[in-house]
Amino acid sequence: MDVRLVDTVATSGSSPLHRASPRTKAAAAALVIASAAVTTNLFVCTGVALAVVAAAVLSRIPLRPYLSLAGYPAVFAALFAWASAPDALSGALIVSKAVTAALAVVLLLFTTPYPQVFASLQRTLPGLVGDALFMTYRAIFVLGEKLDDLIVAARLRSGAGRHPIRSARATVRALGNLVLYAFDLAQREYDILALRGYSGRLAVPVRRSAAPAVDALALAAGTAALAAALAWRVAWRDLLPYSWMPLAAAAALLVAALVVRFARSGGTRHA
Amino acid sequence: MTHIHVPDGVLPVWLWGSGWVVAVALLLIADRASRRVTARRRLPLVGVVSALVIVAMSSEVVPIAYHMNLTVLAGALLGPSLSIVSAFVVQVVLAALGHGGVTIVGLNTLLTASEMLLGWALLQGGLRLLGTKRAAPVAAAATVATLAVTTTMLVGLIAASGTLGATERETGALDPENLTFASPFSEGALRIGLFSGGEHGQEEEAEHAAGEAEHAEALGLARFATVVYTLGSIGWVLEALVTAAIVGYLARVRPSLLVQPRAPAAVLPAPAEHHGGA
Repeated sequence: MDVRLVDTVATSGSSPLHRASPRTKAAAAALVIASAAVTTNLFVCTGVALAVVAAAVLSRIPLRPYLSLAGYPAVFAALFAWASAPDALSGALIVSKAVTAALAVVLLLFTTPYPQVFASLQRTLPGLVGDALFMTYRAIFVLGEKLDDLIVAARLRSGAGRHPIRSARATVRALGNLVLYAFDLAQREYDILALRGYSGRLAVPVRRSAAPAVDALALAAGTAALAAALAWRVAWRDLLPYSWMPLAAAAALLVAALVVRFARSGGTRHA
Repeated sequence: MTHIHVPDGVLPVWLWGSGWVVAVALLLIADRASRRVTARRRLPLVGVVSALVIVAMSSEVVPIAYHMNLTVLAGALLGPSLSIVSAFVVQVVLAALGHGGVTIVGLNTLLTASEMLLGWALLQGGLRLLGTKRAAPVAAAATVATLAVTTTMLVGLIAASGTLGATERETGALDPENLTFASPFSEGALRIGLFSGGEHGQEEEAEHAAGEAEHAEALGLARFATVVYTLGSIGWVLEALVTAAIVGYLARVRPSLLVQPRAPAAVLPAPAEHHGGA
């Protein structure tokens, strides 16, 4: 999981979805998650997933890391499905639900800087918990870089590669050093916060939208996904023969998005 | 087994809703307990320890679908109240990265917090009994015991959810035989059970269906428990080895991080002061 890449794409991206309001994007993601939770129709669930991928394609985010990060929960969902579902279709539905929800939240994270993602959530949480969210995300970057350096140093010293046990010991020692470093870092951070007047609440202003039309479109798409999921759940007897329709529509949308993306990237190269 | 790898919409609302209610209540209690200045000083530590746990949880051991947790270590470093805060933060960030369902963040927080608290208690107890010289074996034993207990909690939650065999839902299935959208398991566009399969609308079949559903649930739960305990136990050993090595290293280099000092004995005033001076 390369959180640093996610953050770079979120902060440097300039697509319409990047410019939309963080709150609207979070609401749209919540609607997609609700539709994945509500639906019991494999085709509707897959259709919603394809529509989210189409939005990711149009947002010009790097697709390989996006899909691999969103596909990570599929491994565990498949294990649960294999252990508990009585047939392949039920298992596929479980995996599809996991992937659809993951696609939505990962798209939110790829198009919105993390302080903005957590800013709304922070206001509803106790002070300590909200602040810990920000500190955790920041620490992932700091510790990630430090861990890379420590592991390289430990392996160079132990001659890793030729001696796997010595290599494992060196890696664990690097982890132990990382804990010590983390502890010292935490104390320094608190001192800096106290010097800057920290009084128990980090204030993060929520950014406003720079693309109101995209806000409306994102909310409409999320609502449509939830409406489809509800319709196929409630009136499944009547709608079952038409299950292919949301899937086909989403597939067409994805193809169109891919064509637009490649046409633009081709045009940019020629320019 | 710090959290349930179950997608949104599989567990019943009453279960994940209860998880949220209990988790929020615990968070409020933890926040109140952490209002002292000494606890506030440890806020950045919550951040860095949570980040360590997230990095560990994001590194999957692919063949056994297991990932490291480092929750026992986190519990030992943070103590009880901050462990609850850290458990919630870890689960929120993981959910934001698509790892675990959003609706089950509450339940996952409870599982992770249980693991941190139990790990903390066992490690503290073991270190007080056997001393920091035996920190590594104590940490290994505490890790295995903690993971065994929380894995059992996980299986218990899934059993309580009743999703393994009892829930009947329509899936909108595609019949692979004739590529129609009718149910492949019964005639016509009938309901296909998400876990049990088939709609049993006729009254005379109701009793038979109930028996079958019970049997399917027991079978599903047994299969789920077998998978979790079999693959999980390999993970427990890996986790115990890594935790033991790190704790052993910390015990040699900086034992004060692991052994929290007992509360100082109350200082009684001198008799002269107590009685108003000489």
